[in-house]
Amino acid sequence: MWISLKIIGRMVDISDVTPEAIAERLTMSTAEIEGIEYLNSFFKDIYTAKLVSVEPHPDADKLTLCFADTGKEKVQVVCGAPNHKAGDIVAFATVGTKFNEEFVIKKTKIRGVESNGMFCSLRELGLSDDHSGIHIFPENTPIGKPLSEMFIDWVDVRLNIDNKSITHRPDLWGHIGFAREIAALMGKEFKKPVDSSILSKIAGKDNLKVSIKNPEAAPRYSAMVIKNIKIGESPDWLKSSVSSLGMRPISNIVDITNYVMAEIGEPMHAFDRKKLKGDVITVRFAAKDEKITTLDGRSHNLTMEDIVIADAGGPIALAGVMGGGNSEVEDSTTEIVLEAATFNPVNIRKTAQRFDSRTEAAMRFEKTLSPEITVDALARCYELIKEIIPGAEAVTGLVDDYPVPAKKSVIDITTEYIRRRIGQNLDDNDIIKTLTALQFEVKSEKGNLHITAPFFRSTKDITMKDDIVEEVGRVLGYSNINPAPPFVKCVPPVKNLFRSFERDVKNILTGQFCMTEVSGYSFTSEDMLNSLKINEGKELRLRNPLSIELDRLRRSLIPNIINFIKYNQRFHDNFDIFELGRVYFKDDRESADLVSENFRVAGTVFMKKPETPVFFEAKAIAAGLLEKLRIKKYKLIPATDSLPPYAHPGRSMKIEVEGKDAGLIFEVHPETAQTFEFTGKAAIFDLDLDVLFNAEKNPVKFTELQKYPEVPFEISVVADKKTYSQDILNIVLKSDRNRITEAKVISVYEGAQLPGDKKSVSIKIVFASKEKTLEPSEIDELQKKVISSLNKDGYTLR
Amino acid sequence: MEEKLNKIKQEALEIINSSKILDEIEDIRVRILGRKGMLTEILRSLGQLTPELRNTIGKKSNEIKKIIEDALDAKKDELTKSGFSEIASSEWIDVTLNPAVSARERKGGYLHPLSKTQYEIEDILTSMGFQILDGPEAETEYYNFEALNVPKFHPARDMQDTFWTEDGNLLRTHTSAIQIRGMEKMTPPFRIMAPGRVFRYEATDASHEHTFYQVEGMMVGEDISVSHLIYIMEEVLTGIFKKEVKVRLRPGYFPFVEPGFELDFSCLICGGAGCRVCKQSGWIEFLGCGLVHPNTLRAGNIDPDKWSGFAFGMGLNRLIMMQAGINDIRHFMSGDIRFVQQF
Repeated sequence: MWISLKIIGRMVDISDVTPEAIAERLTMSTAEIEGIEYLNSFFKDIYTAKLVSVEPHPDADKLTLCFADTGKEKVQVVCGAPNHKAGDIVAFATVGTKFNEEFVIKKTKIRGVESNGMFCSLRELGLSDDHSGIHIFPENTPIGKPLSEMFIDWVDVRLNIDNKSITHRPDLWGHIGFAREIAALMGKEFKKPVDSSILSKIAGKDNLKVSIKNPEAAPRYSAMVIKNIKIGESPDWLKSSVSSLGMRPISNIVDITNYVMAEIGEPMHAFDRKKLKGDVITVRFAAKDEKITTLDGRSHNLTMEDIVIADAGGPIALAGVMGGGNSEVEDSTTEIVLEAATFNPVNIRKTAQRFDSRTEAAMRFEKTLSPEITVDALARCYELIKEIIPGAEAVTGLVDDYPVPAKKSVIDITTEYIRRRIGQNLDDNDIIKTLTALQFEVKSEKGNLHITAPFFRSTKDITMKDDIVEEVGRVLGYSNINPAPPFVKCVPPVKNLFRSFERDVKNILTGQFCMTEVSGYSFTSEDMLNSLKINEGKELRLRNPLSIELDRLRRSLIPNIINFIKYNQRFHDNFDIFELGRVYFKDDRESADLVSENFRVAGTVFMKKPETPVFFEAKAIAAGLLEKLRIKKYKLIPATDSLPPYAHPGRSMKIEVEGKDAGLIFEVHPETAQTFEFTGKAAIFDLDLDVLFNAEKNPVKFTELQKYPEVPFEISVVADKKTYSQDILNIVLKSDRNRITEAKVISVYEGAQLPGDKKSVSIKIVFASKEKTLEPSEIDELQKKVISSLNKDGYTLR
Repeated sequence: MEEKLNKIKQEALEIINSSKILDEIEDIRVRILGRKGMLTEILRSLGQLTPELRNTIGKKSNEIKKIIEDALDAKKDELTKSGFSEIASSEWIDVTLNPAVSARERKGGYLHPLSKTQYEIEDILTSMGFQILDGPEAETEYYNFEALNVPKFHPARDMQDTFWTEDGNLLRTHTSAIQIRGMEKMTPPFRIMAPGRVFRYEATDASHEHTFYQVEGMMVGEDISVSHLIYIMEEVLTGIFKKEVKVRLRPGYFPFVEPGFELDFSCLICGGAGCRVCKQSGWIEFLGCGLVHPNTLRAGNIDPDKWSGFAFGMGLNRLIMMQAGINDIRHFMSGDIRFVQQF
């Protein structure tokens, strides 16, 4: 919202402070000022000047060579306008005048002739659309006067208010509110811009009546009728004021109502009196299936939550949002009804949202305006109409329906409470003075304050003690509060074990396995799920997605990982990344109303040209992680069926923890790799963090180190090609549980010396005893045990 | 001429259909349609024909070309698919092996900057006795708005555009949602913090992201005051920046606190003298905070006449952007390794 310091200046004398100082003070105590804008400040570099001579340009037909007298000097200017002659008084922009960032007047040569400035048209000055020629002032205009004095109305400074920061302050949605703040903050006097007593002196000659049918829809509806209206252009001061507030000047009546809205903060509306049917205006909820066409030409089907202003013929305005086309003020209008009202903020907000019509009026009404300001707004409007349209005459005084007059907020508080909340030793008198300056009435007795808030702060804004704390704090200045450590019991915080587990996982993956953590959106799309062939339509959808690419919540981290592989392979031949995050299951609701959220960690190893299958890389990391996390009962089980379609059926393992599914390690299915145009091989692990967190962990318990010699024994076992070597190792390990301490595969041979469907697995076995050195006979016995176990299961040695 | 063409078509289709190897398909394509292919040769002789004949034959040969190409594509597709059906066996590996891996060079691993900074802040706050809490990302309207003193149709809803889910819930727009969950669980006095992912219904550009991270902090006790808030915030920021930081409070409106503040900290680039980063003000706008609104305390079953508290919420992305000079917020969620490996 724009605040014009010119308008502020009519209510509080700010001639001795800079706009910057005002902005700073407001920002620190009232609302955030996002910027200061100087309007038409370049007018100070443009002067009235008299054309001494106007000759044709020696080298161009359409240009003239002029000498202008600025009162101080004579300047040569080449001018292209068609409408000037010697003796004219014109607006002369000196060299250096900065119209805007792009347009700065420079000394130049035009067709070989020097030109030291520019004569301006009204359009160039931003004062009208007239560009038919340069502006010629009346003959008796003094020369050498800056335009900032000639067009004083158009020179203004405006502050850009962050609307969010005044959401809770309905009183600040008009200049009057800011004027009151500035007066209070800077110790100045506030002059009310209107005297509403003028309304009581008017004799009623019109029978207009207003009636609120549903008091919950509108706390107050005030109106008056004015005749002898002549619609026309507004005077300069009004046009410029309206413009500097970011609105377009339209006509005197529209501009006046807009101006009063900006000044008093009360949105106004004018109806053409003669278009109204009957003498009664009613305010009510719309009837079912009622319709209205608003000023912008749009037609709306109303619901019983919309509030309408109606005459005998039906709705004439969509209350608080926009007037109706059927009662619109036009050029021929001679009699108007002025309206100032307040409405239920919730209804206004709903209506404005539903019709996508967040008008200036709706924005204010939804903040809960004080019903007390309607009379001031009417009086101010009437005052301006009389000033601008001579002959205009009120034919009613205040026509008002105000069923339940608003009460002022009353709050009892102690100065001690304020001090304790702020944490600073404030003086009682300073507190009282501050509140009084903000127009609060304060009765005090030994630190007990009985406070009555002004009506304009009494709607929603000031309702409780802590609101008073804020008033005192913000005006006395938060920057004067000294930091102080709180006195608390010295107890350690309860540790969030899941969070530290999560952190352990990330630290192991990055620290031990050199992976890089990435973070992806919680969203996925139908396309993505289809490409991965995992679209079962089970995802929780968004009602208002930003795009179809992000329209549902993920049930898996795999889509992100796949996308990130596709993306990063452009820049790296090999990489390892993981994401730890939540997935969302709508079919597995935790409590009655929320979807369950599970934590997973998924990582990938991508290699352009792996020498051994990349599967083993991912497996090494996943298994290493489980070990590091000291998961006690986990199993890696070869998996060939009931795999997700993106997993390679010959290169996958399931992870089971305590018999529960804890995740999957797999090489990406070649078809998926093809779909996503992988340029290398990728293997992925995808683990359920909740299962891992809840799993039993290996306690740290010392096992005696091996004291007696370890005896290695190597054998090569012939097996079918598709035998899992782990099966062979298990047979070996089982053959003597006490004295075989290790069995591992050293190498696997396939080739000419073996039948085509066979392979040879070389295994290193370690024999050792915890009690003594093994005797040769025992070693012999163990070797036999191993071999016979293998033979029993159909394996031969090579 | 036409006969010749038909013969080529027959021949070509036979070759294609009898092919069994995926790699062959492209060779076949060259042999028939390539620059010296069977069909191409025929077309070369078109020049010698009468214009009428040239027209019909030209048309015919284009039809045939299309038929052959379709057949090639279909075969390719078929072979690709049947190739995949065999992989369970043809590409079988003994997954139970544990061969030596990663002979290649590995640079050290990298935590995502959001994790790193989140952990730093968690550690600072934990050292001051704050307990880390957690809450759902898909939240109810009650915890995200209503309990935080933002009823339906309150204008403050404009401040946070919201993703709504099909079940009538929403994606939390701020970590403040955890305040109420925390209060329900704890008995005062307490100090809690809640880091996490939040969502706003907002189109992305260099300075806007619909998914970002916040850290929420809350302290409730007897006579907790604004001066305590300032103290804690200065300690937290000094901890983050590892040098002394001054903070200042301005009025700010957040419905769940009263009074509410915008907190600025002294610009670390210029030390408060004014520079481009702080827009010549000497201060950098950083977070929203305030004394907990009595209604918020009540929603958490805490008696506001007995207890008071402060709460704050800071954006992690913006903090990291400021620290590291990042000009585009979209990097955080891009999955780009080149970004993460700079931290």
